[in-house]
Amino acid sequence: MGKYSDSAEWEDIVPISQDDGGPNPLAAIAYTEDYSEAMSYLRAVMAVDEKSDRVLGLTEDIIQMNPAHYTVWLYRADILLELQKNLVQELEWLNTIAIKHHKNFQIWHHRQVIMSHTPTLPSSEISFLARMFAKDAKNYHVWSYRQWLVRRFSLWDSELPYVESLLQSDVRNNSAWNHRWFIVFARYTDPEKHSIKNNDADSQVEPGIIEREIEYTKAAILMAPQNQSPWNYLRGIVRKQGKGLVGLKSFAEQFANLEKEDEVRSSHALDFLADVYAEEEENELSGKALELLARRYDPIRKNYWNYRRSMLGFEQVGA
Amino acid sequence: MRTKPKRRKVIHKSRSRTPLRQLHRRDGYENHMASDRAVDRDEQEELISRDGTDPLSLEATFDQAEGRLQVPDLYTTLPPIKDTLTTDTSVSQDNIIQRCLPHLSASGSSVFSVNGQGIPSLERENHIDFLHSTIENARYIPYDSVRPWVLYWSLTALSLLGENVETYQQRVVETLSACQNLGGGFGAGHGQLSHVATSYAAVLSLAIVGGSESLDMIGRRALWRWLGQLKQSDGGFSLCVGGEEDVRGAYCSMTIISLLALPLELPPNAPTRARGFASFLDGLPEYLSRCQTFEGGISGRPQSEAHGAYAFCALACLCIIGSPREMLPKYLDLPLLISWLSSRQHAPEGGFSGRTNKLVDGCYSHWVGGCWPLIEAAMNASQTSGSTTTPKIRSWYSQEGLTRYILSCCQADDGGMRDKPNTIPDAYHTCYTLAGLSATQHYSCYSGTRNAEAGYPLNSAFHWDSSKKGPQRDMNKGEDFGDARTMLGSLHPIYVIPWGAVERCHGLFSQKTRF
Repeated sequence: MGKYSDSAEWEDIVPISQDDGGPNPLAAIAYTEDYSEAMSYLRAVMAVDEKSDRVLGLTEDIIQMNPAHYTVWLYRADILLELQKNLVQELEWLNTIAIKHHKNFQIWHHRQVIMSHTPTLPSSEISFLARMFAKDAKNYHVWSYRQWLVRRFSLWDSELPYVESLLQSDVRNNSAWNHRWFIVFARYTDPEKHSIKNNDADSQVEPGIIEREIEYTKAAILMAPQNQSPWNYLRGIVRKQGKGLVGLKSFAEQFANLEKEDEVRSSHALDFLADVYAEEEENELSGKALELLARRYDPIRKNYWNYRRSMLGFEQVGA
Repeated sequence: MRTKPKRRKVIHKSRSRTPLRQLHRRDGYENHMASDRAVDRDEQEELISRDGTDPLSLEATFDQAEGRLQVPDLYTTLPPIKDTLTTDTSVSQDNIIQRCLPHLSASGSSVFSVNGQGIPSLERENHIDFLHSTIENARYIPYDSVRPWVLYWSLTALSLLGENVETYQQRVVETLSACQNLGGGFGAGHGQLSHVATSYAAVLSLAIVGGSESLDMIGRRALWRWLGQLKQSDGGFSLCVGGEEDVRGAYCSMTIISLLALPLELPPNAPTRARGFASFLDGLPEYLSRCQTFEGGISGRPQSEAHGAYAFCALACLCIIGSPREMLPKYLDLPLLISWLSSRQHAPEGGFSGRTNKLVDGCYSHWVGGCWPLIEAAMNASQTSGSTTTPKIRSWYSQEGLTRYILSCCQADDGGMRDKPNTIPDAYHTCYTLAGLSATQHYSCYSGTRNAEAGYPLNSAFHWDSSKKGPQRDMNKGEDFGDARTMLGSLHPIYVIPWGAVERCHGLFSQKTRF
């Protein structure tokens, strides 16, 4: 008795019931009858690789009960493509599932498969992603999907205003900073070739863009100097530039003056300055900045700051 | 405060009476690590008699004048710098600190006994009960897609807690038999497609419970052929045929290949043979190298956001391919990686976050914490070859901070470990918080040499040794904390299973020249 066993549409199928693995299976699941039955029919149709409308309906049924079920998603994608289904409809259906189960990640690979067979960008796609980010602006899988989408449809130019709006609402959103890096710098690099280790300095990026990014990032730091994201971004730009950090010394010093150690406004500025001074071979100053970090402004990382001091030949702090 | 008849409960006199903040500030000490460590006299004696350590070794930490519970300021006060601008991120961060502080200062809702340093004991029996219950019943339907993982998490955590898991041998084999596919690999359950993450969990579970029947049930030739289909033209691996590609695919595949000593040659049916690839290793370290981001951390795929879990997968995968001292400096910008990794530790919480400006989560105790032994192996090796004045660094992060976070914030009242206070415990977090705690108690050292050996070519991962750290004392002075009751077993730093399980597998397969 059940949705499928009572259905004339499915009467030709002999369901394959679940083998949990021996008489006392581990990690046993308290299956509902509906789920068990649907899975039994899925096993049966997958065994003969049936790709049909009724199986499409079955996969939808199972996904509603367990959207984390990777097997069903993969099978569904195969069926949709083989039957040449309307993929825009599929995307619309996916939207409802994604919003309802916004932490689910299997869905994003499925969406990517569908979209890779869609010749033009559906007009609703970007606004749908905005709804996802409204729920969680740091959703890793949605961001990875978006990067893929940007490459697929060459959306580079329209992305910058969107990233800026996200950073405007939360300048600490590191995923948005990463995406900014992606659209500004990674667009010029081949993801199948480029690595930080080997060829980060990049002459392809126009100096004007480097300048724009430095100014944007400095403004972001001024809004909240203890926000690590733009400091990391700033260091990244400088590496691209291949010029060293010294040019940003006075900028960083406004947040951390070693003469006024009670008034440090950013531990990240201290970290930055430690590198600036080391670059200038002002090892005493560099050591002092690191000492302040170890002792006072970031002592949970004391061992790391001490390591940096040891590289300059200084003794450990607080030993 | 709740009391439960089942549970030992020790409330120290000082704990209920003395406001913590007053205690720490009495001397105006700035150095959190060295001076703020006082152990209650009774507690100290109790502790010494239990674990048999030399009383002198703890003398420096005993505050005779106060004789009270001490938690350093670092873990009880707000960070020294706070921006005025409020955003979603800062609100979440403020909230998590407020949720953690009562637990960290041992004045919160904790029902556990605490030692003289305000660190709760590890509630072993509760966690063991929780894990036995979880491995029996995963209960919820969403777990239908991760059942082999439930086995792995539970068995690993039970092993850490000293439980004999061989009793599960037969049932592990039977359960996973229903997950194994004739075409190679393991799915999450009967009729589910093979997936490399569930295959990883299945193979490791079989290795943990041991027994020849366990490992012999793995269809190695089919597994090898199936893995060949996962190899991608950019050097990485997808997670299943037709599925997504990320760094997990690379780590899980190489774990399976090296532990089971599968041939490194791609099987004849591998699609990337058409591209000229001949080996599973072709293009792989270069692919992992491309996953390092401008922040220094490692992302799931090139150009995504740096993330702690992917960092571990990438580092461990590199350490399967070769020795850490060769592979890590060759393929990664190590100073940048170390800076990013170090930034993952937060105060006052003490735990690790997975990404910049995200919250601490107990599972990163392993994902981030587990990166450090691999980095240490690479760095210490290079340091010895250079200047003799540079000390070997044996702890790059605050082990005290991590221990406090795990024991104060991650233990659920009724057993099991959790992400953070007020979340529900599960096997995943129990496994990875305990793995992280274990790594604070044991050194993992790479003992291999540069010279390649005869036999199976991927042997680097089998050249690690483990040794217990001194009794609650780190080489970095002042890092003594915890007690004997928290001691856990140790895990292999790359395969994340007990050492004996790795040896069993390696012993069984490495000499096999045929399937």
